[in-house]
This record gives sequence, structure tokens and C-alpha cells, in this order.
Amino acid sequence: MRFLARRLGFYLLTAWAAVTLNFLIPRLMPGDPVDLLVARLKGNVDPAAVEAMKKAFGISDAGLWTQYVDYLGNLFRGELGRSITFFPTEVSTVIADSLPWTIGLVGVATLISYVVGTSLGVLMAWKRGTWLDGVLPAATFLHAVPYFWVALVLVFVFGSTLQWFPGSRAYGLEVTPGVTGDFLASVAYHATLPAVTIVVASMADRILGMRNVMVTTLGEDYVVMAEAKGLTSRRVMWAYAARNAILPNITSFALSLGFVVGGSVLTEIVFSYPGIGSMLLKGVENEDFPLMQGIFLVISLAVLVANLLADLAYVLLDPRTRQ
Amino acid sequence: MKRLTIMAVALVLAGCSGGGGQKGPGAAAPPLVVHAIDSGTFQENFNPFHLEGVNFGTTGMIYETLEYFNKLKPGETQPWLALSHAWSNDGKTITFTLRQGVKWTDGKPFTADDVVFTFETMIKHPELNKSAVELAGAKALAPDKVQLDFKSTSYAKLFNISGSTAIVPKHLFEKENPVTFTNPKPVGTGPYKLVKFSAQLYEMTKNPDYWQPGKPVVPTVRFPAYTANAVQTGLQQGEIDWAGAFVPDIDKIYVQGKPETNKYYFPPEGVVALLPNLTHPVLSKPEVRQAISLAIDRDKIVKVAERGYTKVAHPTGIPIPGGEAFLPPAYKNAAYKVDIAKAKELLKGVDPAQLKFQLLVPSPFTDWVNAAQLIREDLAKVGITVETRGVAFQDWVSKVGKGSYDLSIRATPAGASPYFQMRSLLFSELAKPVGTAATGNYQRWKDAASDKLIHDYAATDDLAAQQKAAQGLGTIMVEKLPVLPLFYSPAWAQFRTSKYVGWPSEQDPYAMPSPYTSPDAAVVLLNLRPAGT
Repeated sequence: MRFLARRLGFYLLTAWAAVTLNFLIPRLMPGDPVDLLVARLKGNVDPAAVEAMKKAFGISDAGLWTQYVDYLGNLFRGELGRSITFFPTEVSTVIADSLPWTIGLVGVATLISYVVGTSLGVLMAWKRGTWLDGVLPAATFLHAVPYFWVALVLVFVFGSTLQWFPGSRAYGLEVTPGVTGDFLASVAYHATLPAVTIVVASMADRILGMRNVMVTTLGEDYVVMAEAKGLTSRRVMWAYAARNAILPNITSFALSLGFVVGGSVLTEIVFSYPGIGSMLLKGVENEDFPLMQGIFLVISLAVLVANLLADLAYVLLDPRTRQ
Repeated sequence: MKRLTIMAVALVLAGCSGGGGQKGPGAAAPPLVVHAIDSGTFQENFNPFHLEGVNFGTTGMIYETLEYFNKLKPGETQPWLALSHAWSNDGKTITFTLRQGVKWTDGKPFTADDVVFTFETMIKHPELNKSAVELAGAKALAPDKVQLDFKSTSYAKLFNISGSTAIVPKHLFEKENPVTFTNPKPVGTGPYKLVKFSAQLYEMTKNPDYWQPGKPVVPTVRFPAYTANAVQTGLQQGEIDWAGAFVPDIDKIYVQGKPETNKYYFPPEGVVALLPNLTHPVLSKPEVRQAISLAIDRDKIVKVAERGYTKVAHPTGIPIPGGEAFLPPAYKNAAYKVDIAKAKELLKGVDPAQLKFQLLVPSPFTDWVNAAQLIREDLAKVGITVETRGVAFQDWVSKVGKGSYDLSIRATPAGASPYFQMRSLLFSELAKPVGTAATGNYQRWKDAASDKLIHDYAATDDLAAQQKAAQGLGTIMVEKLPVLPLFYSPAWAQFRTSKYVGWPSEQDPYAMPSPYTSPDAAVVLLNLRPAGT
């Protein structure tokens, strides 16, 4: 209990720091959202209307401290304000519309990458010296190549040239969103290339981590004893070795869940995927403080919650950490 | 901000392409697929009072304005929801006579009350008055007559009053807060109705009771969401019929060897100029600006940096063709010519050590970055050292606005008449002290003669007098070089004639051809007819 309370206190402090940084960082950028709007709209708005627009967007010239107090107050009431880019849509609506796409795509891809990567790591440690050893350098190579480059290559080869998979959008234009077979099939079809990008680019970590711990574990006495008892190799491999070797990978999985929300901004941009990363890009381009703050908040909270979960999972799985 | 070469050759063929139209009494006319702006997703916003969040087509296709102004022919207007207007009280009052028999798409009649309500909303909520019209009051004189009063003489604001303000139905908008209302089920007087909306696509079908009989011909218009990357693929694969996009290699990506159907037309919609910061002690000397102007090879900039998509600007900065009547007669045929010897001559009296400037450009505008490099090379030939500096868009907007730069490049929109452009380039009231963000006149030009001409223009409704004022301003542009025009900023428009013909062209510039220009895009749609007719 004391452990839990201490952890919670720590997380509250971190959350406050994150919230404050979210407030400060966008305001340190040069420029002003309304001036940007005027520059971008190329004459569709008279600069004389700027003052009135600032009022509509809720941009105040008040001191930083007043703004900060207002911001904290609004946050406390769960109000994120209205987006400037998508005015007058509420920031919470923009996030609610885009978050499911990111969680769906990146979440599923992370899960696949984790399951496949971990299993491959187990197998590779078990069957050292076979052709499987060749998988690691290949995976590491793909890991070393930038994310978006993999994405661009996939779009070019499978999207534009072969036209096997769509290279943009979350679903086809001919389907109407809804819980229908057509729609879900279209979503899965459109998610293929981006998901493959994420899996391919992130798998090496899991393989490498799992394989290394597994190799160490395989040298332990209890594994030797299990083999000596004449247990099947499958049983030794999964129930004795892998089960003990998986602990660090669980932590890294829990941590990576936090980054699911932060998403793969570049992947989303390359595939024109309507997730939170694309929204964040729009927000930054337009100096949309409310939208940036809202998205950063959601991302930081997700990372914190994932960290907390990782802490808790560790406590449950490994009694030694409970002291 | 790229430009175009106009290929008269391709355009001569307009209207005579007969390829592949499926017609006949049985076949329904095909939908038109439009890409207006780069966007990954759409928000459900069809409130014409809004600026950017609002989806394209809201003004023009759904809601209409009182009059239509052809920006490609300054001075040419057409009656729309209003049949005529009359100024009185020294330009502080205008009376519109409204068209009768127009209906909202819910069947209710369009009346003077709707017009009054629209303008009263702008008085009540100044943040919706995006054209900064100085409204004092609005009242209905009769079911078909509306009078608007202004705080100041407003002749020059006619476009903002009747050409860009979309009239909304009072009976639906009065129940809402117009500032935050997103109007998901728009009811307008225009040629189209919204029938389908999702985050990736919205669709409009024609209003069968539209007041222009027999129009529109195009039954369905679809707006899919394309990001800047995806739109290139969309054009390449022929998914899009009408786009307003910058295409890096248009012949390869879009035209694909079929100039008779895959057409484009990039008319000027503003001028891109080199801004000298006139608060800089050296740049404030006219002979230095003259020398810079003489040294820059604008033809090369247009050809290399702008891929030939545009043309070198007229020295007055007034867009040509279209603005001929506003050119000063003495400089009608003026054109830029590089003259290194004369430039060097002009710089003789200036200490060469002082001829060092920084040229600030926004790095995302790669064409401007290229242009800046060319300018640097040109100016080096006359002994001026230029350091080009690319910065983030936000940073550039802020620095240019506050006047903390030596030289920069910026586009000034043309608007519906040269007044808008000249005022934002030359009006001294817009020139704020260095350090305060300005909203125009970024180079800080202060000249009593310019101000007087701008006032003269605004004080009259007489086209000839307005032209005379514009000519005076044009003369100042040529002789005093408050800014150095480089080339025109083009309006982007790619359109395929395989389904429909009748698009604007250099021969028939009846409207801005870009799908992102409101309400011009609706005027284009109303002029389309099936291919082969």
C-alpha cells in the first residue's frame, strides 16, 4: 500500500509537470495563430478583422500567469477549449474523432509486433546456429531504417506501382462509416500497409530483447534439469525458459502501450491516416494552442498510465520488487 | 505559391473534346469529383460565417452572395441574389433590390429579412465580420429592398459587402449562436444541397428548384478528403476531375500526354514581391532599390524557381491580363529588363561595405527558397551581398509582420479590384512601428501621395475615377519602388474535360478557376455542360 501511495504521488507530480510543459511549449513558438491564419488565407480575410477573430478564438493578451491559472481551471473542469484550426469544433471532439483510428492502428500493430517478435526471439534462442539466426540482422536493418522511409517504400511498391493496397485514407470512399461488414473490411484493407510498416520497423527490439534474456535463461540449472527429466523441448522452451525470460519484455510492452497514443506521427502522415498524429501536425502548423495542448495532454497521460501499469504488473509478477 | 505557364495551345482546343462521354436519355450524368484544399479529414461545419474550419462549397454552392464579382476582370459584376444596388449618403448607405421568387431549400421564401438578419449578425458578433465592413445598421425597406448603413464611406468595400458575404436563412440561424454553430444540415438558396457527410467525403446534389432555370447541369458533386501527398496520386490516377493543387511536374503527373482533356489554367491572383525593409538605412535609399530591381533576372526566376507556372509581374504589380484599365498609360507596356551596368552605376555613391542584407524566406515554400538563391546570385553581380535565410513558416510570418528583416519575399492577394492590393501594399496606416505586428505594408512605406490616392479611390463609386487613382498608385510603384514585384502568384486549377466542358480559360476568364475560391467555384459549376455538347 505504501508503495502504491508513493508511486501515485510520484505520478501526480509528473502529471503536473507534463501539464505545465504542455502549456508552456506551444507558447514559446514564434508567431500568433491569427496572423498565421491571415497569411494562409491569402486575402480571404481582412486583416482589420484580426482583433475580433482573436476574441472569437479565445486568444487573450493576458499575462502568462493569468492564462496558466485559466488553463488549469479549465483542465480541471475537463474543458480543452475549441480548436482554432477546426473552429468551432471542440478540441475534445477532434481528439475523440481521431484517437480511435490511432489506437486501432498502432495498438493492433504493436500487439502483433510484440507477439510475433517475442515468439521469434524465443525460437531463435532455442534454435541457435540454424537459418533463423539470419532473421535478426534483417530485422535490425529494418529497425535501423527510418519508419517513414519504410512507409514510403511500401506506398511506392504496393500502393502506387502494384496497386495491391490503398496508400492513403482509413477507409474507402464508397463505404459509409458504420458497423457493417463492408466498412470493417475496408478499414482492415486500408490499415494493412501502415500496420505492416509499424510491425516491420519495431519488431527487432522485441526479438533482440527476448532472444538475449532467453539465451541467459537457457543456461540456468532449472532448465538443464527440466531437460534432464526428459520433458519435451516444447515444454522446456515455453514453460521453463520463456516464462522466466519474458519479464523485461512485459515492461517494454507496457511502456510501448503508452506510446501507442503518441502514435506514429510520420506513418500517419505518409498514409494520410486520420489519427491523432495527423491532427497534431495540423495543430503545430497552425499554432493551434488548444489543440496542441489537448493532444499533448492525452499523450502524456497515456504514457504515465502505461508506466503505472508497468510498475503494477512488475509488482504482481516479481515478488522481489515489492520491498 | 507556384505558377504556371499558360499554354494557349491546349486551351484553344477547349470545348471540342468529344472523347468518352456516356450520354443518351437513359444514362445519368456522372458526378464531378472535386479537390478544393488539402485535408486528411473534414469537420462537419457548413456555417458560412466561419473562416477556415468551414467546408468548401458552403459559400457559393449552398449559400449565395448578393452579387458576383469576377476577380479576373476587375470592375465586372453580375447581379445574383440582388438585382441591383444604389449608393447614397456619400457612400455611407447602400440599398439593394433583391431578386424575387428565390426559395430556401426547405421551401421557405428568401426575403429582405434574411439579408437584414445576416448583416445584423455581423454587427452583433464582430468576430464574424471577417471583411471588417464598418456596418452601422441594416433595415428592410420593402420585401425586396434592403438598406445598409456604414460608419464611413464604403464604396471600396462593395466586394466585401455584396460579393463575399453569404446570406443565411433567418428562420434557422436565429435559433443558434452563429459563432459556434456548425450548421450540419445547411439550408441555402444555392444550386446545390448537402446530402452526405463523413469525415472523408461529402457530397452535394443539385437543387431542383434553383432560381436559374435548367441549372446546374452537373447533378452531383463529390468532395473526397485528400492530403497534399494523396492528391498527387489522385490526379495521376484520374480520380479527381477538378483540383486546385500545386503539382511539381504537371506534364508528367497530371497531363500525361493528354493536353486536350487534362487541362490546367493558373491565372494570377496576386503578386509576389521582394520586400525591402524601408526602415533599414540603406534599403530606404531609392537608388539602392532601383539597383536591386535592375539586377534581378525575373525571367529566370519564373522559369527555374516557378517551373514556368506563372509570369513575370507587371512593374506596377497589377495582375495582367484583367487589370489593363488600371495601368498608368505611361507605363502600359513597361517590362523588367536586367541592366547590370546601370545598377552598378546607381550604387556608386553607396559604401560597398553597407550592401549586405539578409533575405528571409519561409523554408516550406521551396519555390521561394529557390527564387531567393537566384536573387542572391544576381545581386552578387552588382556587389550586393545577400545571405538567404530559410525559417519556419510561423517564424517568417512573425518576423515579417514585426518588420525585423532586411529583405523578404511575400505574396499580396489581388482581391476583387486593385484597391485591395494597393492598399495593403502602400497604405501608411498599415505600417506599424518595427516590433509591432503589421497586417499589411510590411516594408513600412509612408508616403502622403500614396495615401491620398488610396483615399481618392475609396471615396468614389465612379469606375473612371477609381482607375485614375489606381494609375497614380501604379506610377508610384514603378518610379519609387516601395516594393519590387517579382511574379504573379497563380491560382491553381486542374480540370478534366472528359466528363464536363465549359471551364474558365484565358480566352473566357469568367471566374477564378480554382475550386477553393468562393463563390467563384459555384459560378464555374453553373457554366459546365456535359462533354461533347
